[in-house]
Amino acid sequence: MIGTLREILEQSWQRLAGTATTYVPPLVAATVIVLAAWLIAAAVRGLFLRLTRMARLDRFVVESGLSSLLGRTRPLETAPLVAGVIYWLILLIGLLTGLSAFNTALTNKMVEAVVFLLPKLFAAGLILLAGVWLGQYLGRSALIWAVNEGLPHPRRLAAGVRVLVVFVSVVVAADHLNFARTVFLAAFVLLVGGLVLAGSIALGLSAHGALRHLRETARTREEEKSLWDHL
Amino acid sequence: MLTEEARRAISEIRKADIVVGIPSYNNARTIGHVVRAAQAGLAKYFPQLSGVIINSDGGSKDGTREEVLKASIEDPRLLLLATPLLPVHRLSLPYHGIPGKGSAFRMIFAMARELGARACAVVDADLRSITPEWMDLLLRPVLHAGYDFVAPYYHRHKYDGTITNSIVYPLTRALYGLRVRQPIGGDFGISARLLARYLQRDDWETDVARYGIDIWMTTIAIAEGYQVCQSFLGAKLHDAKDPAADLSAMLQQVVGSVFTLMREYERVWRAVRGSRPVDLFGFRFDVGLDPIPVNLERMRRALLTGYRELREIWAMALDAETLRDLATLCRRAEAEPRDWRFPDDLWVRTVLEFACAHRRLPVERGHLLRSLTPLYLGRVASFVLETEHMISAEVEERIEQLCLAFEAAKPYLVARWDSAVGTPVPHAQPAPVEVRK
Repeated sequence: MIGTLREILEQSWQRLAGTATTYVPPLVAATVIVLAAWLIAAAVRGLFLRLTRMARLDRFVVESGLSSLLGRTRPLETAPLVAGVIYWLILLIGLLTGLSAFNTALTNKMVEAVVFLLPKLFAAGLILLAGVWLGQYLGRSALIWAVNEGLPHPRRLAAGVRVLVVFVSVVVAADHLNFARTVFLAAFVLLVGGLVLAGSIALGLSAHGALRHLRETARTREEEKSLWDHL
Repeated sequence: MLTEEARRAISEIRKADIVVGIPSYNNARTIGHVVRAAQAGLAKYFPQLSGVIINSDGGSKDGTREEVLKASIEDPRLLLLATPLLPVHRLSLPYHGIPGKGSAFRMIFAMARELGARACAVVDADLRSITPEWMDLLLRPVLHAGYDFVAPYYHRHKYDGTITNSIVYPLTRALYGLRVRQPIGGDFGISARLLARYLQRDDWETDVARYGIDIWMTTIAIAEGYQVCQSFLGAKLHDAKDPAADLSAMLQQVVGSVFTLMREYERVWRAVRGSRPVDLFGFRFDVGLDPIPVNLERMRRALLTGYRELREIWAMALDAETLRDLATLCRRAEAEPRDWRFPDDLWVRTVLEFACAHRRLPVERGHLLRSLTPLYLGRVASFVLETEHMISAEVEERIEQLCLAFEAAKPYLVARWDSAVGTPVPHAQPAPVEVRK
């Protein structure tokens, strides 16, 4: 009885020792790598912030309209933003290197998946960013046009343009990532089809009213034309 | 730049002392009169010089070109006190490139250079008030007094030329220090030297190709130190503009050109303080003018809608304080439709801040310029309310006050122009500066 118990304990101890000798060194190595990456990331971020005043980058961000991406009227603080991106990128690389120190099938697969997915995610992110920027830009154009033309509900029109452009960019990004491709494409087709149908119905229903309104507007404009011609 | 047809015409005519250019687009109703006036003017005032009248047409469908070729002064009832020694040729040619007045001018200028013209006059095709004297007034200062650029000076109705009165004249005068009253008048006299300079430039494919051409020509002449004068042409009565022309686009092209040239000639205008008068040729007289009916309500509504919908876009250009003042103005305009005013100081700040934003935000330039339309209409409405019962001389005095406000705000413009990207400048009260009379 005692022999059996001793045998079990010895086996458990051996298993524990085996596990420890297998996993503790990589764990220590991974911890050291992640810590080193964290230190490097923090140092690079600090150095970047200290060295660059980022005047040029700030100018580029403002001039390219990126600062007004989120409807901001003041420029984005570019230096901390870029420094933050660099920080997290170094940390991510450290984390992946740390994971690869375990050299197990699972960790290797995880690292491989991330490395494989990262460029695609990056490209999809860029597509989304471009879509949001373009949506914002075209939305603004539509808003100003609608206001200057005296159209009703200019904000709704602008929002519609923005949503449509962003949605198109989401579809393209999803297609690039091969993620729910058919769902997004179907939604896109439904949206465009719905818009065309709604437009046709609206046109049909309001043709009479619109014609009357146009006639009235033409008459008013005729009266005002004189000043308009001399502006 | 020149079409095959134009080259053929040049090789046939070979040489001309004077070129008169008439850009046109669907002006069949008036262009015959303009051509006849130009032809009679050349025959009467410059009988010893050879002249060519060139109609540069943008693809008219109403027989404009036929009218040009048909127009003639060979009328026994028309008595000219001088016998022309040389014939005056008439040409009507289509131009190529971006459709617009600027592209039409480009072809006229290129032909004038090829023909070796000593002076060139350009007049609008929609004029109803042009007389043969206009040729004398636009060309003589160039041919006999050594001027390079003759700007027009007209009597206009108080509500005519509001882009000129509210933005272009005061701003150009404050920037470059010359009181050219009609910088975008459309009828000019130009020397061969200045023509060569215009043709040398590479920005013809921008807004210059369209409505920006007039202010572009005037600004270059002033900023590059050419000899500039004005000629009093009497009344400016013209046909309605192209009904399809969009006010917002027109404003964008004209004001955009002013702002673009501000960047180019920064060194010139920075040093200028105050303004000085420009030599004026011609006998000044008062004339009766067509009344211009005004729809104030539509302009007031445009301002209010603009404030409601475009505030965020204005915020990209305007200071917080300017925006606050605009909010107060709009509240007042909403509450008391006939008892509100767009103060000069606020209008000046608005225009100057838009000019600085135009420099700072290249991607947003189109948006900023188009979003200026409601503000401009608001300013016009306020001007109409204020001058409703004023006579022409009082209105001119009122415009002079606005010009002085622009000149006084020059230090504010310089400070804001110099400020770092996106950094708001604390609002400075325009300091009074010496104005040279």
